[in-house]
Amino acid sequence: MKTITITSVPGFDEWREGARKCIAERIPPEHIIWQSAHTVQDDLFGDSEEKCDSKNSQSKLSIPKPTLMLLKYALCHNSEHRFALCYRVLWRVVFENKHLIQMKTDDDIIQLFAMAKAVKRDAYKMSAFLRFREINLEGQEHFVAWYEPEHFSLEIKLNFFQTRFKNMRWSILTPYRAAHWDTQTLVLEDNPDSSVVPDDDRIERYWLTYYANIFNPARIKTNAMLNQMPKKYWKNMPETSLIDDMIKQSDARARKMISDGNNH
Amino acid sequence: MHDRLIQKLEILSDAAKYDASCASGSAGKRQAGKTEKTGIGSLTGGSGICHSFTPDGRCVSLLKILMTNYCIYDCHYCINRVSSNVQRARFTVKETVDLTLNFYKRNYIEGLFLSSGIVGSPDITMESMVRIAKSLRLDHGFKGYIHLKTIPNASPELQAEAGLYADRLSINVEMPTQSSLNKYAPEKDLGDIHGSMNALKDKIAEHKVDKTYSGKRPPRFAPGGQSTQMIIGADGSNDKTILGTSVKLYNQQKLRRVYYSAFSPIPDASEVLPLKPAPLIREHRLYQADWLLRFYGFGLDEILQDDMLDMDYDPKLAWALRNRHVFPIDLNKADKQLLLRVPGLGARTVQKIVSIRRNTKLNWIDLTKMRLPLKKLKPFISVGDYFPDIHLLDSNNFELQFKQPKQFELFGA
Repeated sequence: MKTITITSVPGFDEWREGARKCIAERIPPEHIIWQSAHTVQDDLFGDSEEKCDSKNSQSKLSIPKPTLMLLKYALCHNSEHRFALCYRVLWRVVFENKHLIQMKTDDDIIQLFAMAKAVKRDAYKMSAFLRFREINLEGQEHFVAWYEPEHFSLEIKLNFFQTRFKNMRWSILTPYRAAHWDTQTLVLEDNPDSSVVPDDDRIERYWLTYYANIFNPARIKTNAMLNQMPKKYWKNMPETSLIDDMIKQSDARARKMISDGNNH
Repeated sequence: MHDRLIQKLEILSDAAKYDASCASGSAGKRQAGKTEKTGIGSLTGGSGICHSFTPDGRCVSLLKILMTNYCIYDCHYCINRVSSNVQRARFTVKETVDLTLNFYKRNYIEGLFLSSGIVGSPDITMESMVRIAKSLRLDHGFKGYIHLKTIPNASPELQAEAGLYADRLSINVEMPTQSSLNKYAPEKDLGDIHGSMNALKDKIAEHKVDKTYSGKRPPRFAPGGQSTQMIIGADGSNDKTILGTSVKLYNQQKLRRVYYSAFSPIPDASEVLPLKPAPLIREHRLYQADWLLRFYGFGLDEILQDDMLDMDYDPKLAWALRNRHVFPIDLNKADKQLLLRVPGLGARTVQKIVSIRRNTKLNWIDLTKMRLPLKKLKPFISVGDYFPDIHLLDSNNFELQFKQPKQFELFGA
């Protein structure tokens, strides 16, 4: 039995190196235990422990790009099983069927797609629901956001934020990592201090005004809203503080319309 | 001064909410160049991002506002008609530009959807709208999404200029027929609207060419195409007339999207309007039918048996119930066009099925793994190890199982 410990999150690069090496040595999935460093008990650090060593993994694997993308997304999932599942799939892609991911009814593939899909949705919601607040940093406007993704979505969306806000200075803080962008270079920082995130912004009241007025009280569909924007996202979205009142008032307005109608 | 801006924003976003569209997609990809030191924004391709949702279930993707709600026209269904008593306001070009950029920088929006009442003349109005889009693009290097609702009678030159800066242009037809327009929007002319749409269609096609003879790409021109909106239930038009108009708009004017907006009573309503809102279910069914026409290969005559869509069943299920002899359909053998007709199978699922069955034969267990709506599918399909009870489809009251529970309450108590 071989144990591989991934020390970083999400751990894609470490997993890839380890996996390449294991494939080169033909170690089947059932002979490997994949674990994350931060969940390992101290007494488990024994001689059997092997940190993956990238120098030995010379072999070139040709993995179809769609498969690689799928693995990449799945490896950003917060599940502890992701490393083992991805290695099992990789093993099967190399030795069993190069086009395994087309077997949409295969149990491993179903699981892999489900994980990748969860990450994709989480990452999409991050690009949608993250809110920047403006601060003045050394005389420059700087935008700061706090966001709590469910999976390791920061890694997936870095490119999106760098592209869209290329000429803006910004910092995105998540519980496990922050990304700082100064229009030129990206700096990553593990376990950032969330106290630097401002709790207000000069434009926010305009946003709240817009949000309250663009909504049509004559057509309440709370469930449709909740499907797309479940409450777990609300705490970092300033406009959601208005929702309860908006719904309550719309009821009153609707009732008033009916009673007015009856008086005719 | 700032409070004045809040007040304007209240009035001019409130006035914009009757437009259903908030789409910010299908204009391709765009981003600032590597060496560009100014400018902001990107288009990610695909369908755009919904940055928030309001309790009416609608996506907030764009800053959707009117430039002004002053208007010289008197369209009865419109809250901004000249005879209405609403409060009026007008944004300056700079206010609109600043608001858009400030919202965008905070990741609130994908861009701007600007429409307007008519102030002074159609050309004066259109000219200001174009200035806003132009300033965003040229002064600020804005690469986000811009949707301009063009003014039907504005000059062709202004319409053409609008297309250089906007991702999407739209003109609302509002009513499916000229006679309805005569009654409810006396200043609007269906011929003019179609004329404007046709002119834009030609422009869009012209600029779609990959490269000109000089080897240069032509400038982008409304790469997201045109859309329009019809109000449902304010006039007496039936679903057949409405969908017939849509089909024409899709085929002849090459519109990308027709939106349907169930009429809802507006404050200070005109007397010619109905007092009651149109049922939202009708709007929903029209969207479903529109989808079937565009993506599922259905013809208008197949979807509509009468003048109106069935409100109890979605139009695809309604078609299946009328054509039971076609079923059950073998998911392992039927061609794609037929799979698209199975109630409960969406276009994506059909694609999935087609790709799976190249490798393996589908059995019932595979359908459960794919998490398909089995209860709905059951009577209409067969797979390797499953064939439905042949009498099921022909049984009396077969269709009742698909009715929404609400209808059953009628028979209760």
